[in-house]
Amino acid sequence: MKVTVAKRILKDNDMIADKNREIFRDAGLLAVNFISSPGSGKTTLLEKTIAELLPEQKTTVVVGDLQTTRDADRLVPNALDVAQINTGMSCHLYANQVADSLLGLNISEADYVFIENVGNMVCPGEFDLGENVKVVLLSIPEGDDKVAKYPTIFRAADLVLLTKVDLLGILDFDLERVTNDIKKLNSNLEILHISSVKGQGMNEWVSWLKAKRQQNVGAKAKFITE
Amino acid sequence: MHEMSIAVGLMDQVLEIAKVNGLKEIDEIEVETGFLRQVIPEVMQEAFLAVRRETIAQNATLKIVEIAPLSECNICKKQFEPQLNDFLCPECQKADVKVLKGDEIILKSIQGKESK
Ligand SMILES: Nc1nc2c(ncn2[C@@H]2O[C@H](COP(=O)(O)OP(=O)(O)OP(=O)(O)O)[C@@H](O)[C@H]2O)c(=O)[nH]1
Ligand SMILES: [Mg+2]
Ligand SMILES: [Zn+2]
Repeated sequence: MKVTVAKRILKDNDMIADKNREIFRDAGLLAVNFISSPGSGKTTLLEKTIAELLPEQKTTVVVGDLQTTRDADRLVPNALDVAQINTGMSCHLYANQVADSLLGLNISEADYVFIENVGNMVCPGEFDLGENVKVVLLSIPEGDDKVAKYPTIFRAADLVLLTKVDLLGILDFDLERVTNDIKKLNSNLEILHISSVKGQGMNEWVSWLKAKRQQNVGAKAKFITE
Repeated sequence: MHEMSIAVGLMDQVLEIAKVNGLKEIDEIEVETGFLRQVIPEVMQEAFLAVRRETIAQNATLKIVEIAPLSECNICKKQFEPQLNDFLCPECQKADVKVLKGDEIILKSIQGKESK
């Protein structure tokens, strides 16, 4: 017997992702999926960003990590709360793992959910988590050929953060190459330059986040009761 | 490197569908892979060998058909074939497109034997 299916693979994941998206919408928050290679500065940026958003806006965090709780521990001090997902052998997060984490998080009080994906430039691109935006980080030490090497993830990005730009004068990195490679994938894609250690670009980045949140939750934004 | 993740997702779906349709053994699985998803057939076959183990698909073959990409410029509506690294419209010289084909991995069909 031949069964004709004609269904997208990973449809199950995508259906759960859609549910997550509804939860985010109902809670009136912006969900951000942070994707990059290992060590490009995701956790450091999250730490700074969460602190920067306080006290007006609060952030809940979901961290995917292969084995340890190190990243989660670093985020605890300023985050509303943190859920840690040990992904074990898997090199990316699944929507159902995020869904399970959400059950234990105080999302009704949060303005943002930051999801730190597992360090990997390929597989996280295949798995929708229900996020509103994908932010892809590329750090200067990784080299200026990475957009050309991993075009798919950059094409899926809503924003590119060029991180560790304090190292620009020190390492050989052709900024124009990266800009041109991105222009060929998505001419409208915005690129922000960030240094979490020097604070460069933080204002623009935080403004971008606030604007996106406004745009996404808009009228559904939380009312502050007097 | 993402072939393994895809193969795992594929097998979950295949087994589910086989169950619903009362298949006791699966002989062939056909998938269409969009060029833009960068699925390497040889690597996908390797991954498939790993995930079919100890399932009702343990003797199944995987047929992979690659789908060429097609995109449409959002500005001038011209349709063209993009490259992995180049989505520039030949008319506008801007990469602002809707991908019409080649961005999906689709499970087309499953062939197998029904229980009794
Ligand atoms: N020079 C410089 N170093 C940075 C910057 N941001 C982070 N780092 C350093 O980069 C290293 C990795 O930073 P993390 O924030 O742990 O990176 P990550 O992306 O979370 O890493 P994984 O979760 O393991 O993938 C640390 O040693 C940081 O101190 C920066 O803006 N400039
Ligand atoms: Mg980290
Ligand atoms: Zn055009």
